[in-house]
Amino acid sequence: MNVALEIPRPEAHPDIERILFTEEEIRARVSEVAAEISRDYAGRRVTLIAVLRGSVFFLTDLARALTVPARIDFLAISPFTPRPEPGVVRIIKDLEESIEGEDVLLVEDVVDTGLTLRYLLRSLTSRLPRSLAACAFLDKTPRRLVDVPIRYRCFEIPDRFVVGYGLDYHQLYRNLRYVGVVKSEVFRG
Amino acid sequence: MANLATTEVRSGPPLSSAPPTFAHPSEEMFAQMMDFYGIDWQYEPRTFPTEWDAAGNTIEAFSPDFYLPEMDLYVELTFMKQSLTRHKNRKLKRMKELYPDVNIRVFYQKDIEDLIFKLGK
Repeated sequence: MNVALEIPRPEAHPDIERILFTEEEIRARVSEVAAEISRDYAGRRVTLIAVLRGSVFFLTDLARALTVPARIDFLAISPFTPRPEPGVVRIIKDLEESIEGEDVLLVEDVVDTGLTLRYLLRSLTSRLPRSLAACAFLDKTPRRLVDVPIRYRCFEIPDRFVVGYGLDYHQLYRNLRYVGVVKSEVFRG
Repeated sequence: MANLATTEVRSGPPLSSAPPTFAHPSEEMFAQMMDFYGIDWQYEPRTFPTEWDAAGNTIEAFSPDFYLPEMDLYVELTFMKQSLTRHKNRKLKRMKELYPDVNIRVFYQKDIEDLIFKLGK
């Protein structure tokens, strides 16, 4: 497993303190994970489900690197709003297709506390897929609150706020080709 | 290892029924977050003695803010700056020495802010 080496690298966006993973490193690692998935699902069709919006770039690269037939679908969940009434988490954009009897791979941009992934895995399990597994682009284990099974992961990262390759800060930086740490003065305003 | 001295165990009911009195607004927010994800919680259900006097009386103890039964995990929320948490960290370290089988996670102010920011997107 690849672990982030926090070494300063040139050519980062002015708001980026350091690059954790370059475009080349991401491409290479996504290819490795895709090869692993292709081996595990050989002879089968896999349904990739991406959680909007952070997983979009990872999903598209991963899907194109697979050698097994793949369907793609998307879902989104309600955001947590503490006041006045937080309510409960729910799916606000549901799948377009049934996953009953399908081999499903849930594609996440980053797993930190595990709360969201736990909810999604439970929700998708109730739809009776043939199999269900999780694939994370980034795994932020220092922040884990609940144990969640992650079968595939591209990178483990330290407890830092990262952006790029789909991950945002106030909806910006998603289109960066690399993953980087935002400068604290940007993050803290 | 010391005996685990327990206080009365209080359940974490849904906030809508009988919410406990939280010591800090961020604790209430954390409870709301657990409710949001359907995670059962208890607020300060247990006190762990960490220092005793010569007569065996407890002179220092630690009461983690939350207990998450499903994960068998205690959660302590700290609202001081990380640089000012030396005393609490010492107590935590002592607690881990005395109760090595107890799982506890510490969330600092920054962790909580990051968490709420991320989940609120």
